[in-house]
Amino acid sequence: MSRYRLVAAAIIPILVLTACNAASPSAVPSSAAPSTEASASASASAEATPAASQGDKFKGVSVNLLTFNGPQVAEPLQRRAPDWEQLTGGHVNVVAVGFQTIYDKAILDASTGTNSFDGYVFDPQWLGDFVGPGYLLDLSDRVKGDTQLQWDDIGPFFRDFNATYNGKVYTIPLDGDFHMVYYRSDLLQKDGLKPPATWDDYMTIATKYNGQDLNGDNEPDYGSCIAKKKGAQSYWWIISIAAGLLQGKGTNEGAFFDTGNMNPLFGQNDAMNKALDMYAKTATVGPPDELNMDVGGTRGLFTTGRCALSMDWGDIGTLTPGTYAQDKTGATITPGWKEVLDRSSGKLVPCDANTCPNAVDGVNYAPFASFGGWSGAINAASPKANQDALYDFLSYMSAPAQSGIDVTLGKTGYNPYRTSHFSDTKPWLDAGLSQGAADNYLGAIKSSLQNTNMVLDMRIPLTKRYQQDVLDTAVSQYLAGELDAAAAEQAIADGWNAITDEAGKDAQLAAYVASLGVQR
Amino acid sequence: MTNPFRRRSATDLSAPAKVAAFGLLVGWSVVVLFPIYWLVVTSFKRPYDVDKGPFYLPFVDFQPTLDAWRYILVELGNDTLRPYINTVIVGLTSSAIALVMGSFTAYALVRFTYRPRIGLIAVAIGSIALALVTIALGVPVPVALAAAIGVFILLAQTIGRRFRRSLGNSDIAFWLISQRILPPIAIAIPLYVLFQQVGLLDSLAALIITYVAANLPIVVWLMREYFASLPRELEESAAVDGATVYQIVRSIVLPISVPGLVATFLIVLIFAWNEFLIALVLTSANAQTMPLQVAAQNATRGPQWWAMSVLIIIMIAPVVAMAIALERFITRGILVGALKG
Amino acid sequence: MPSSPRMSPALASSGNSVTADPDGLTAEGQASETRPPRRAIASLGAWRSDGAARWLFIWPTVLFILVLSLFPLVASLALSLSKLSFRQGGIDLKFIGFANYQQLLFGLERSHFLGVLKSPSPLGWAIVIGTLLLTAYAWTRAVRSGRYGPFGLILRLFAGVLLVGFVWLLVQAMVSEGGRPGSLIVTLIFVVVGIGLQYVLGLGLALLAVQQVPGRRFFRIVFLIPLTITPVGVGYMFLMLTDTSKGPLEPLWVTLGLRDFTWVTDPWLARAAVIIGDTWQWTPFVFIVLLAALESLDQEVREAALADGASRWQAFRHITFPALLPVTTTIILIRLIEGFKIIDMPNILLGGGPGTATQSMTLQAWIDWNTLNLGRSAAVAYLLLILVTIVATLYVNVVRRGVTETV
Repeated sequence: MSRYRLVAAAIIPILVLTACNAASPSAVPSSAAPSTEASASASASAEATPAASQGDKFKGVSVNLLTFNGPQVAEPLQRRAPDWEQLTGGHVNVVAVGFQTIYDKAILDASTGTNSFDGYVFDPQWLGDFVGPGYLLDLSDRVKGDTQLQWDDIGPFFRDFNATYNGKVYTIPLDGDFHMVYYRSDLLQKDGLKPPATWDDYMTIATKYNGQDLNGDNEPDYGSCIAKKKGAQSYWWIISIAAGLLQGKGTNEGAFFDTGNMNPLFGQNDAMNKALDMYAKTATVGPPDELNMDVGGTRGLFTTGRCALSMDWGDIGTLTPGTYAQDKTGATITPGWKEVLDRSSGKLVPCDANTCPNAVDGVNYAPFASFGGWSGAINAASPKANQDALYDFLSYMSAPAQSGIDVTLGKTGYNPYRTSHFSDTKPWLDAGLSQGAADNYLGAIKSSLQNTNMVLDMRIPLTKRYQQDVLDTAVSQYLAGELDAAAAEQAIADGWNAITDEAGKDAQLAAYVASLGVQR
Repeated sequence: MTNPFRRRSATDLSAPAKVAAFGLLVGWSVVVLFPIYWLVVTSFKRPYDVDKGPFYLPFVDFQPTLDAWRYILVELGNDTLRPYINTVIVGLTSSAIALVMGSFTAYALVRFTYRPRIGLIAVAIGSIALALVTIALGVPVPVALAAAIGVFILLAQTIGRRFRRSLGNSDIAFWLISQRILPPIAIAIPLYVLFQQVGLLDSLAALIITYVAANLPIVVWLMREYFASLPRELEESAAVDGATVYQIVRSIVLPISVPGLVATFLIVLIFAWNEFLIALVLTSANAQTMPLQVAAQNATRGPQWWAMSVLIIIMIAPVVAMAIALERFITRGILVGALKG
Repeated sequence: MPSSPRMSPALASSGNSVTADPDGLTAEGQASETRPPRRAIASLGAWRSDGAARWLFIWPTVLFILVLSLFPLVASLALSLSKLSFRQGGIDLKFIGFANYQQLLFGLERSHFLGVLKSPSPLGWAIVIGTLLLTAYAWTRAVRSGRYGPFGLILRLFAGVLLVGFVWLLVQAMVSEGGRPGSLIVTLIFVVVGIGLQYVLGLGLALLAVQQVPGRRFFRIVFLIPLTITPVGVGYMFLMLTDTSKGPLEPLWVTLGLRDFTWVTDPWLARAAVIIGDTWQWTPFVFIVLLAALESLDQEVREAALADGASRWQAFRHITFPALLPVTTTIILIRLIEGFKIIDMPNILLGGGPGTATQSMTLQAWIDWNTLNLGRSAAVAYLLLILVTIVATLYVNVVRRGVTETV
């Protein structure tokens, strides 16, 4: 009988443990509340908007906001949460996690019904995976009349494409992300060169400066620095290079799949041959371990003056003050091509009014809004009070008064996305840019934003698999010499087709077309 | 001053051999310490200094700054302190529990004979599977558990007796260590679901439970070795003198096996202290641990070396301190007396 | 189950306590003593535990692990046989049979998992045929020795076939024209080379650290440090160290004339870097365990041998090392099982690159997991499980059993 007694002895602790934990609620924000409230009341908020003080509107409401522990991205949210709390009484608990896991945490949380997060500041690319199962709140009606948010001030691309899915608004943009090419303005000026308009120009300039000492330390430097590390989101750069060849007729045409039959454009065709070839060529005029560099590394190389050219989001522009590259940096729209892909034949045709209606001076630019720009979304399953409160916070963050300052600061990781961000250069000067640099930088951003051929990042279900798994692997294998161009292209096409088939070709096509805002 | 390398006894190394040994030890110390030094130095650099190229000596090559330290300890103060405390609690608790449970099991596997019958094992597994399935289907936990135990007791008397072929101690031990084969990735999401069902998500309890289960096999296998190497005569003679098992374990076995226990505790503590993936999946706002903060310094646009270095340094400091404190227990001195006596 | 243990015949006659090992390797022979009195036998029995201790010591552990491991095990298997998708209000799991495995072993992912398999070169053929002949010879010898029953022979035949098949795979991937190892083989390389290095280094350091040299304590503490750093942190640390433009070794490269040197584009150099990082991190584990073991060793026999004129090497080889063998096999088994799961070092250093040169199996599972291809991720994990279970079983049965009495 002693055995049974032991068995009974085993049950009791289990039952006790379960009972205890069933009783205790998951108290989330209470521990964080006292410290932030203390600081909020202690410091008179200098940046509080002069709106009518509705200090009690959301009193007692506490929301959990999941985002990226940058320090960028989370920084402005954490900085402004106390101010907003001062204004409205609501509390925002910013839960910042590593980049790799925001997606996993958010989707696990929503799909398992845990719903510990009231909203997310994340990558609008993921709308494809979040909207379908209904995890996000439709914000269309709220944004229209919101005087704080000023929806129409937001750049049309970000308003109509990024924040919208299937005709409805699901996110509030806080940041505008797209690639640009940066160049050493002092070098180009000295040699009377213009910033590269096409990728062939890029290569020419890079080749010219490769091996020269560009920052006066007697060490040879590099012509081009583009991050190529595997598993570090480097697949975006190849998209930027290929986009100008793949999309000519405007954002609705899409740059990833054929909108008629869902055939991958990243497959065996002349455009990809050219793009891959160019990508590999940039490696020959770059740092020797460029294949293992991520964007932090190439950015560091550029700011220390070791690169003549580089490609990045808007960050380099705001990171130059205080570095060697200060006042020596110019920015320009991502170079394009003078040819474009004829999708039916798979061959390249020269650019003209028919094939490239958006071309500027004969060059088809296709600035790639890679990643889209950090945006705030709200959990559809949260209590209404939380939803209202979080919406107000996100609207506050995006409002011109706040965002106008945040986008000028490199530490926020937010880049301009509103018309009002360009109209006033003073915040930029305050941030340390010279007038010339600010004009140049903003000019490049404006010309990218106003380009009608901007490329929308992929936003269909399973986007991560298409890009982070298949594309990333194939491209790094190509760069490492494991696959030649044809094999790499085939690998991408096969991989993408397999995912499409698995998810259902018709469903994916419908989603792709919907994400492009194409009206059928 | 006497030569520190002199030969102290007949079985000791000769002086030149000692110098050589010393040299090798110093060599490996350099290999170990240089990266640590680099870490420390990096924590005092500005981002620009890190990018600019290798700078080795503070004040000579570059101007040190406390920016990274201030950022981690002050600006992110709460976000650093809470994970830190969590790590300490989870690490110490799970290691202590695992050590106690595992050491007893190890001793049992070395000194007792077990013959678990396959029939009984199958019934046990079936009962537990039943419990888990019913919990997953929404049945309240205590009910499911009671049902499973009832089923087990019933079937044990019937099916359990029917299949007599049995396994041995070695099989139990192998089964234990084989639990570590499956990579954490594969068990992360099932564990997430499991803890979600019992409402323990984002809690320290979930982490402690998981780490105990994960590290028990290590404790068992390591302590098995130490116990097995202990001569039986001591325990035997005590038994002949009428001591109970518990008395033997407490007064004879434990004191002798202190080196093994300490070494094992340190190892298991380190495993729990530094575990990343399970913590990543099971925690969000409250129960985050330090390894997550370290990994989070990898911004989407490049690792923040300076902040990461600070985090690593404050993470390893307590463990190293503990190692220093416990190191003397892994020495021979304590042992000699016990064996002779 | 009967509550009294089976008394070993040896005990009844000689008063020695021998735990009846199922495979018959008994403790070292002891001089028999006179039979102890009746009460003492009962006490001995209690010590060898007919009592509650027998259950109390072991059941908590077994139960705990059983409960926590069973569900993930079954759930992973279920996941690996299905396709996961998200729908309104929950998760959709669709059963797809072995499709994930099929993809890994024969389909689209084969080149990532097994590798690119091409026709072997002449050397490759030689290796395969040589292995085949050796295995056939060993098996026929086993048959002829008559020591094994039919079941044992079939088992051995199966193992032999596995071995030859495996060598065939290796050769096709590595000793062939245009072949390339996949994550399975890369993981094996990491494990075999890494653990070999770690053991040799760990043993050497432990032997040095028990000597009476000044600063012993300091060395012991210092050597422990790499293990205390979280693996992700070690990965980033090595990333910093191996950076050829701003890492601390840069002046070294420059003076050696290797200014443009990079190890990230060569697959074997990349693998070497991962192994070096892994070894730096895990040698302390071997070190501390062996150190504790060395400290626990009875020095009498060794001192007597040295006094009798044996050389240090002889003393080591015939006395110390054999005494360390049980711990050695344990530590290698543990490192083996842990080593197969290697992920942080290749992931952080290179992302699994260049191309897929340093992609370990767990890293492949991680990439799948991160892109929410949970089914395939679980399939890779299960293939890893099968592989390591086979390796561990073979290891325990062949190596440990031959070396120690506690298996």
